[in-house]
Parts: sequence; C-alpha cells; structure tokens
Amino acid sequence: MTPARTNPAMAALRNRVWLVTLSALIALFVINWILQPNLVTPNVLKSNLTVFLPVVLVAIGQSYVILGGDIDLSVGSIVALVNVVTVSVIAALGGGVPAIFAGIGAGILTGVACGLVNGLLIAGLRFQAIVTTFATGIIFGGLALRILPTAGLPVPAEYWRTYGGAVLGLPVVLWVLILALVIIAIIARRPFIKHLSAVGGLRQAAFQSGLPVARIRILAYVLAGLFAAFASLCLTGETASGDPLMGRLLALSSISAVVLGGAALAGGSGSAFGAVLGALVLGMIGNVIFFARFPFEYQTLIQGLITLLALAGGVLVARR
Amino acid sequence: MTLLLKAESITKRYGAVVALSDGGLELEQGEIHALLGANGCGKSTLCKIIAGTVAKNSGTLSILGRAVEIGGPREAEALGVALFYQELSLVPQLSVADNIFLGREQRSGAGFLDARALRRDTEQLIARFAEVAGAGFSADALVSDLSPDQRQIVEILKVLARKPRIIIFDEATAALDRNQVALFFAILRELKAEGVSSIFITHRMDEVFEITDRITVMRNGATVARFVTAETDRQAVVHAMVGDVTALAERPAARPRSDKPARLVLESVGNKRVQQVSLSLRPGEIVGLGGLQGQGQSSLLQGLFGAAPFTSGTIRLDGEQVRISRPSHAIGKGIAYVSGDRGRDAAFHGRSIFENIAAASFSKERPAMVWPGRLRERFTKAAATLSTKYAGLSAPIGSLSGGNQQKIFIARWLATQPSVLLLDDPTKGIDLGAKADFFALARRLADEGAAILFYSSEDAELLSLCDRILVFNSGAVAGELEGEALTAYNLTNAAYGRAA
Amino acid sequence: MNRLRSTLTDPLVLATLSILVLLAAGEALSPGFARGDQIVRLLVVSAILGLVAAGQSLVVIGGREGIDLSVGASISLGAVLAGNVMAGQDGSIFLAVLVAGGATFLIGLINGLGVTMLRIPPLVMTLGMTGVVQGALIVISRGIPSGNAAPALMAFVNRPLVFGLPGILILWALVGVLMWVLLRRTRLGYAIYAIGSNERAAELTGLPVRAIRTLLYGLSGLFAGLTGVIVIGYTGNSFVSVGDQYVLPSVIAVVIGGISLAGGQGNYFGAMLGAIALTLLTSVLTTLQLEFWGRQLIFGAVLLMLMLLYGRAGRLRA
Repeated sequence: MTPARTNPAMAALRNRVWLVTLSALIALFVINWILQPNLVTPNVLKSNLTVFLPVVLVAIGQSYVILGGDIDLSVGSIVALVNVVTVSVIAALGGGVPAIFAGIGAGILTGVACGLVNGLLIAGLRFQAIVTTFATGIIFGGLALRILPTAGLPVPAEYWRTYGGAVLGLPVVLWVLILALVIIAIIARRPFIKHLSAVGGLRQAAFQSGLPVARIRILAYVLAGLFAAFASLCLTGETASGDPLMGRLLALSSISAVVLGGAALAGGSGSAFGAVLGALVLGMIGNVIFFARFPFEYQTLIQGLITLLALAGGVLVARR
Repeated sequence: MTLLLKAESITKRYGAVVALSDGGLELEQGEIHALLGANGCGKSTLCKIIAGTVAKNSGTLSILGRAVEIGGPREAEALGVALFYQELSLVPQLSVADNIFLGREQRSGAGFLDARALRRDTEQLIARFAEVAGAGFSADALVSDLSPDQRQIVEILKVLARKPRIIIFDEATAALDRNQVALFFAILRELKAEGVSSIFITHRMDEVFEITDRITVMRNGATVARFVTAETDRQAVVHAMVGDVTALAERPAARPRSDKPARLVLESVGNKRVQQVSLSLRPGEIVGLGGLQGQGQSSLLQGLFGAAPFTSGTIRLDGEQVRISRPSHAIGKGIAYVSGDRGRDAAFHGRSIFENIAAASFSKERPAMVWPGRLRERFTKAAATLSTKYAGLSAPIGSLSGGNQQKIFIARWLATQPSVLLLDDPTKGIDLGAKADFFALARRLADEGAAILFYSSEDAELLSLCDRILVFNSGAVAGELEGEALTAYNLTNAAYGRAA
Repeated sequence: MNRLRSTLTDPLVLATLSILVLLAAGEALSPGFARGDQIVRLLVVSAILGLVAAGQSLVVIGGREGIDLSVGASISLGAVLAGNVMAGQDGSIFLAVLVAGGATFLIGLINGLGVTMLRIPPLVMTLGMTGVVQGALIVISRGIPSGNAAPALMAFVNRPLVFGLPGILILWALVGVLMWVLLRRTRLGYAIYAIGSNERAAELTGLPVRAIRTLLYGLSGLFAGLTGVIVIGYTGNSFVSVGDQYVLPSVIAVVIGGISLAGGQGNYFGAMLGAIALTLLTSVLTTLQLEFWGRQLIFGAVLLMLMLLYGRAGRLRA
C-alpha cells in the first residue's frame, strides 16, 4: 500500500485557503488605497462597509449550507421578501419605534421560515437542492411582489438614521459586523459545525456515525435564511425603503464569496470566516474597478470576468 | 452463557436482487464470533441490518431475548451495537479526533466543544497504536492524509470510543500489517474479558482459528452452518463456505503450453499502485492474478486498460510496442476489461440492455450512424453465448439480477471480439450457476485463441481456471505458480509470503 | 393497477394530458382560446421556448448536474448581434445567423470547459458566465435597444409559410427530427446517454467524456444564439435582457418532458411537449389576468411538484 501522505506545508495551506484570500484582500486594499487616497478615513471606510455588509451577511449564511454539501439559490429572494415584509409591517403599525421593532421581528421570522421551507423540502423530502432553491426563490420573489408590487414605501427616519449612525463611538454597521463575527465564532465552537462538516464531507459516513443528518441540513438552511434576513434589514437601512426586486444578484455573489473564502462547493470544508473574507474581496474588486476609471460600460463586464475567474481559481485551490 | 443477540430469518432485497434470503446469527455474551462466507454471500448486509444502516424486509432481531426494531444507527448505538464499516465511515475532511468522537463530542458546561478534552481522550486512545501506526498518525491529522492502514485504525478507535457491548468488525484487519493485527487481537481479548461480544468478519482463515470462539457460515444470502472453532477444522469450514463444490468444474488436465509467440508482454510497468511488473501472455493462455485483496491486481488491469495508465515500463502487443493512456486506446487494440464492480464501473443505469451491450462496440467500430435493427441480431447472439436470461434487448438493465447483468457486461465486450481479456474479479456477487457459465465461456474463448488475465478474490476460482498464477503483494509480483505447484496451499503461502 | 399508475406517471402521458386539460380550461375561460389561429400563435411561442429547450435537454441528459443557466444571456447576445449585423437587410440574414450562432457556441464551449476541465459545478459556471455575457452586452449595445430584424426574418417567424403554418414551426419540427436522429441514430447520441447515466462506466467503454460534455454546452449555447435570432424576428428589435425570461421556462419545460435532472434519461420529444404545456399554462394564467407574481408562484409550485415526481434522492437508510 502506498501511503497517501502529502507535503505537510501543502496540507497546512490546503486547510487555510482563507490565508490566500486574506492576502488577496490586503493586496486589493493597498491598490484601492493608491487609487483612492482618501480610503482610510472613517467616512469612506464606513460607506465601504455599508456597501459590503449585505453580501458579507448573506455569504455567512450561504457558507453553512455549502459546508453541509447543499446550496441555496433563494437567498436573494429571501432578502427581497424580508425587506417588503419589514417595511409593510412597520407601515401597517403606524411607523413608531414599537412598529420598527415589530417589523424587524417579522422580517427575521420570515427569513427563518423561508430557510425552514427550503430545509424541509431538501433534507426532509430529499429534493435536489439546486432546482428546489431555484424554485423556492421564484416563489419567495413572487410573494415579495404580491406584498409590495413596486419599489417605494419608505421606512421611518428612526430606522435608517440609527442604521447610518453610531453607538458608543462606533458606526452601527461596524457593530453589525462585529455581532456577525461573534455569532460565527460561537457557531464555530459548537459540535454542530463538526456535524455539518461531516454531513457535507461524506453524508453516508455521517449517517452511519449516528448523526441526525436531516436535522443538521435543515438547521443550515435556517441559518442561511436568518443571515439573509439580517442582510435584508441592513439593506433596508441603507435604501430606507421597500423594494421587491432587492438582492437579485446576492445568490451568485454569496456563492462566489464562499468559494473565494476557500470552501469546496462539494461540501465538507470551508468556514464562515473565509466567506466573510471572500465577500470583502468581491467588494474590493468592485472598488478597484471603479476607481481604476475603466469606461463605465466596461465595468459590468470586468466585474463579471473577475468573478468568474475568481470562482475558477477558488475551485482549483480548494481542490488541491 | 447468555444469548446476547439473536438474528433470525432476516431477508433483504434490492430491486430484483436478493441479498439475504435467510440470514441468522446467535451471539453470546463475551464471545468472539466469526461470520464467514464467500464474497456477496450477505455477511455485510446482515451486519448493516444489525447496525441499523440497512432496513430489513423481514425477520426478527432480539437482544437478551427481547425483540428489537433497529430503525437507524442512532438506535443501534443506544442498544450498544457498533459496526466497523468495511468501507469505513470516516469523513476525509475531518481530523482523526473529530472522526473518532463524531456525534459524541466532549462538551464544556455551556455546550461548547471542549477541544482540550477531545485532544486528551483521543491521545489516550491512539497512544496504544502509537508504536505500530507509523508516521503522521496524530489527533490533528486529517483523515484524507492518512494511509489505508491508519484509516482502518481510526475506524477501530471510533468503534471502541462508543463503548459498545456488541461490536461487529467487518474486515477490520484487511489493511493492517502483522504488528497492527497482533495489537488489535490483544484489544479484542481484553474486550472479551470485559464481557463485550464481537462479530468478526475476515478473509484470513488463520485469524479465524487464532481468535474466535464460534463460527457462523453464510452462503448465497443464507446462514448454512454453525461451528465451535475449537471442535472443527479449516477443511470443514471451507467446505461449508463453498457448498456444492462440484458446481465449479475441476481444473482440466494441464494443457500443453502453447508455443505461439506472446500476444501481450509487459516490461516492468508501474504507476502509483503497481511496481515493476513484468509478464508475458500467449494466445490461448489464462493467467491468474492472485494474492490478498488490494495488492495491485486490479490496478495492473486498469493500468493495462488505460483507466489508470502506467507511468513507466513498456507494453508490447503482438511484438509491437504500444502506448495505452486511455481506455479507447486499449479498446482499439482489441483489449477488453470486465470489472466486478458492476454498479460503479459498467452499468448504464436506467438504460436498455441494448445500449448497455452496444457501448463498447461503438467505441471500437466508431460508426457515425447507428441502426439498431441491424445490431439486434449480433447483440442477441453475444448475450446468448452466456445463456443470459432477459426479457428483450429493450428491457432496462435494472430488470436483471446481478448475475445476468454481469453476463450482459461480458457480452458487451464479446461483441467487440477482443483478443485480450482483462477480468477484474468478474464473478463478485454473482450466483454459482452464472459463475459456471462464465468459467465455461472463459475457457472456450481461450481455446479460440484469446489471451486472458484473470484476477479473482477467490482462490478456488483462480485454481480451477488458470494455467499460471502470478501472486501479488504490495503492488509487485511476489511469486509465480504453474503446473503441479498450482495448489491452494502454495497460493495461500505465496500470498502471505511477504505480506505483513 | 400498477400498470395504470406507471402509465399515468409517464412524463409523456402526463405532459399530453396537461396540454389537453389546459386547452379545455382556456376554451372554457375564454371561448376562442383553442381556435386554429390561436393555437398556431401559441405554437410559435412554444417553438421559441422549444428551441432553447433543445440545448437545455442535451446538457441535462449529459448528466453530472448538467444545467445551463446562461441560455438567457446567450439569447440576448444572439438577438443583439443578429440585430446589429442584419440592420434590417434581408441579404444579411445568413451572416447574422452565423455571427450569433458562432459567438454563442463559443460561449457554450467555455462553459463546457469550465465544467469539465476546472470541474466548476454547471450551475455556478453558467450563472457566472451570465454575468460576463451581460457585461459584454452592455459594451456592445451601450445599454440602448439596437438592431433591426430583416423583413424576411419577421415574415418567417410570424407569417404563414406553408399550409398556413409559419416557417418557425417547420423549423421546430425539423429540429425535433434532427434531435431524434442525433440522440437515437448516431453514436454521439448513445454516448450522451451513456455519460449522463454513468460517467465512470462511459470512460471505461472508451468514451471521451469531457469532450462530449464540452460539446453539449457548446450546442446549448448555439441553440440559445439561434433562438436569439428567432426572438428578434418575433419582436422586431432587441434589447440586452430580452433572453432572461427564457432561462427558467427552458429548465421547467425539460423537466415536464421527463428529462431527469439526474441525467441519462428522457428525450427531446418530451421537452417539446413540455414547452407547449408550459406556454399554454402561461397563456391560461394570462387569460385569468393573473399578475406577474401569481404566475411566478405557479411556476415555482409546478417546478416543486415536478421535483416531487421525478427529482428525489435515495434514502440514506437502504
């Protein structure tokens, strides 16, 4: 028998693909700084974070689903649905502070419910993940249009002012990021994360080891729904109104971010922290393209190409 | 003695294929019990039913006299049953420690993972194997980085960590070397002293007589014999395993060695799994590849077929040097490859028998257009040479039993009229009748001039069919048997010769 | 009883039955729905969907979670390129078809290479490619509707050609025959089913699995590009997102037609029936004056129902 041992240095790197992502992030940051000298000022950093935050949050949720060997294409529609539910509830309850809290609560419940539906269909009824979340995405999007046919319906000023403001000297967006990092740190230290990796790594082995495979997969989808709801609440704070078509591109960018963060799309490896880095890299790429002053009409193309190349690269690195 | 576990009249069907027709087993408290039988006799299925990973169709299971329904691995674990999976139940992406304690992680008060306790407990467990496990075996190592024997040790530790009262070891020693096996047996004896019962499945008869107290033998999905190890001998056990021995024809009188020039010559070919193998094969010759399972026999055939190409050495066909780096090269040169792992390597699931036969012929003849009407007769004839039973060429492949499916996959290659046949454990899991048909065919093809390389995991098959046998060990040829030397004793001896 | 059940769950029977039921429902809701000229009009719309579905069928049959979500972008690209090349001139139609088909075939091949050589999951690869093509479209057209269909092309799509049927329907029937010949009478067709059914077994019978799968994505791009040409003939001009509306229906049509998303099963005839059934469903929903969101809801529900019928994984406990 030939031992399957590999170079330890390569092995160490393989489990820390996020190091590569982190290096890329630093490099992009430096380039961005050169192109945009006022980057490192509190206001510019804050506005950057405000732009990146929704993708970061959705990518965190997506990373759990992908770690478990599944995929969620409906996250973008969940963002839209949560947005219209939140703004509608706030408007229906008169727009006071209690109404805002009720709206946020309703939004979070909506996200969790969407995740639960996905999880039950896929892990419970054993539907294929890709097409099922594709289909539920259409349904969630349709419901969003039912609730709010066109963009509009502003949220009260208390909502977006708070989101755009600061608490204890730090911007709220930064607090949201910190809170998200605390949540993923907690999850990373629960047995759940090992179980999820096992389910994504080799489902049969996880089952044979006595893990409740279906329950674990459902929980991952619920987390994806929950983080999509967080992202939606942030987007709502940014746009200050309802939009049933919000978040259309978030499914692809969240998947790209997760892959960039070093996860294998086949499941079993990767981390939510890597996904955060991946999402930031995606955002910085957008910044660099913008400040490099490419002709306007080329920017979508370049962004698309870089995303595709990053996906290909990420898949290649994760396979090593 | 108390009867701990009793399995009675267990049956299991997969579609048209019956895996178990009458599985039974009685396990007493604190014994080591061998479960024996040829490949595909249903041992593993019976074990998986006891461990809850496979659902039975009928029959009863009872523990300490109380009937139990085991609905899944969790329920089995709650009843104190643990299974060492032959194909292992490890997650490659997780570490050794994570795998051993998967699903039963040590937790701190608040329910968080207790990394320190996990490491401490794992190191305690692996300490016993430290001396025999080799380099790179640590609590933090990823299972994907371990060698096959190390993975097997992890699976053993995973089973032990569950502290079960019934352990089923399905081929737990297959990849272990002698020192590792000795340590494993020492642990087995300690468990026995503590009152734990073990069911032990192995392909090595020596181990059965060394460690077990009683033996249950299965054949063709049914339990057929029970022995007390100390009161029986190897011959009686083997007889029970093989059953009606006359079903396999005796080896014909040694045929005169053909003096035709060699059809196939390999000169020190090698790749990751095969080292420096040389051999020559004449038309009309059947050469066996023997030895323990997984010693490079399949890899040699797959290398020769271009599925896992050789990276060194030369291949000559009819005297001419050829390069085979993918299966289509081999097929173009008249080489055929029949795998024993039908579901994975051969079956086009959900497609018709016609399509399943046609695939190889199309690759060889490369017709642009296909006229099914004109091919039907030819394929019917190819299937008929093996007396295959099927409803019609347009019936789906899944409607056939395992044996008849394998006949179809052999017919697939017969239709290409190959001059070299590579048979990779082709009779795995097929019934004796189909085996007999297959043997007769192989002999006839050889008589008609085909050159055949035949690997079988069953020594009896090699001995009854082959003119010569090359015995493999660790990817290399460890010995060659011919003529009078072709005996079971010599074959086993050579197989274990340098092993361990 | 079992026989009856298996006949009723046969995708072709199911698709045909739903077509008849939908026709009856349409006629009941709005008399004249099932009139001859109305049916021809519906068939023209079905044909456009059916042409995209031809490529989608091939990719899905080819297995390994095969799916092409970039067909929408390729249709748009085909339409914009063809519109600009034709610029309303009959004489340039052939060149327009060549340019549109060539460009989208190439895009499909790149999809195929990403899927086979880099092993990017098809869904992600083709979704990523959608972004690139949409970017390219913005560069080409600068975001404004551009290009004009040649009169002959518009006549081919919209006016009766023979027996009162527009040329597009003749073309669709021809594509149906060609797809049957490809899948059932050529070695390539048998190879497509083989790689879709069991990739490893296909390799072990000497099939060039990667090359075939790459070609399938190329063909899907090609069909999408040609559909783009037809689309501009149908609408008269083109805009950068004209193809988006076909992505989802092309997948649903294929699944309705009994082509398993697991690969290796089904045929294009089923997908043709699927395209007709889906077009009828849309039309009935429009007759019901159901808003966009309601149609989306029903599409999603239909897709989930199809998953229930055909797309479930095996149990972990055998």
